[in-house]
Amino acid sequence: MIFSFFILGLLYLIFLSILAYVGLGAIPIAIIASIMIITQWYFSDKIVLWSSGAKVVTRDQFPKLHDIVERIVARNGLPKPRIAVMNANMPNAFATGKTPKSSVVAVTTNLMDILDTEELEGVIAHELTHIRNRDVLVLTLASLFSTIAWYVMQSGFYGGGMGYGYGRDDRNNGVGAMILIIIAALLTWIVSFLIIRAISRYREFAADRGSAQMTGKPVKLANALMKISGTMRQIPTKDLRQVEGLNAFFIIPALSGSMIGNLFSTHPPVEKRIQKLMEMEASMS
Amino acid sequence: MSFFRSLRKKNIPKTDSDAIFSLSSAYITLETKLGLKSTGRCALSFKSTSGMYFAEMKDEIQRFLDISKTDFELAYRIITDSYGYLWIILEGKSMEGILAGISAIGDTIEEKGFSSQLLAAVFEFNNGKDVQYLIYSYKRNKFYPFVRAGEKMINTEEDMKIMAAIIDEVPFEKDMTFWYPMWDMPF
Repeated sequence: MIFSFFILGLLYLIFLSILAYVGLGAIPIAIIASIMIITQWYFSDKIVLWSSGAKVVTRDQFPKLHDIVERIVARNGLPKPRIAVMNANMPNAFATGKTPKSSVVAVTTNLMDILDTEELEGVIAHELTHIRNRDVLVLTLASLFSTIAWYVMQSGFYGGGMGYGYGRDDRNNGVGAMILIIIAALLTWIVSFLIIRAISRYREFAADRGSAQMTGKPVKLANALMKISGTMRQIPTKDLRQVEGLNAFFIIPALSGSMIGNLFSTHPPVEKRIQKLMEMEASMS
Repeated sequence: MSFFRSLRKKNIPKTDSDAIFSLSSAYITLETKLGLKSTGRCALSFKSTSGMYFAEMKDEIQRFLDISKTDFELAYRIITDSYGYLWIILEGKSMEGILAGISAIGDTIEEKGFSSQLLAAVFEFNNGKDVQYLIYSYKRNKFYPFVRAGEKMINTEEDMKIMAAIIDEVPFEKDMTFWYPMWDMPF
């Protein structure tokens, strides 16, 4: 998922660079980039529904799911979004759409199987908070800024670099400038990519908080997160007296790529989210 | 918790009795936040070995317990379970009393050089419906919750509520992979 985002973003920028290289002016490129991003935002629900294979379902097909969503929106004065179901063997949920009214909340069939009603409420309230907070728009804007940053960086260097190159007719200098442009542009893009990830992670915490306020039961969302992430399986069921002899206590957890993973991921680590949810639970009781 | 506080916390080596005595305020939090009341029962579990010194230590503990019957108002039982662990089960009227009793026994075991035999101290609570436990691991020097949901099933929701309530008050095991249950305790 992260990788495909990475590649998509890269392709996007390469395309814009080619346009610049071909000799298109600054203003046409800016217009094309804006159109691309606005289109992406405008059709976000259709794009996501199509790529995930989620189908919008009616009340007759999934009455219980509709009940849950209606309960939460009625209690919190939100417009009811469309509801979609994905036939997938993995627990997952997402929300998408450009305005709260036209939004879609989608869940997988597996999610409905493994969660109980209150846990499902927690997850759906989390998605409804994404819609209420207009997170699709926020992230689209963030990526717009990253594109602008890239573009300013690049055009600045192009102008400067080429000026030197023509003036002195020095090929080496031209190549050096090109490499510099590429490195600087790449750095701009990587930094903005990381910033988008950070914003996205922050929005996740915000959505957890919103869900906790809507349902009043953060512990249910925490439990759902544990089930979804498979953390549930990590609480051992083997007796302490059985494992005591196995030296299980002295194993130093191997260094994993989790730090780098944290930097790149769109979602904060589940343990952090559970911890925050439980802090809310503690302050509510 | 702030970065500096966590640093400082690591630098001061906490003894087991310090950790156990942190319950003397945390149990009030459990009662006010979750309605969990101490049943007045707790137990110390340690691996029994054969040998003169171990037998001597056991005698000493027994003498101490006989005296403290009146001093701390503690009743006690000693049981060996199917895993070969020795359980000293205390029952008292006040939390302070059972904490003093448990940590005194733990200290005695550590002084006699049997600290590696110490496994866990278990504290029993009740919310009016079912019993819930706090386990102190002598290997990890931390507390963690243990609530049953059924036969060999763990009630993670109740576990997490306990964690949320007292995570800052006692040395708490934040890594859930160490929340090893103790299924059939001889309480």
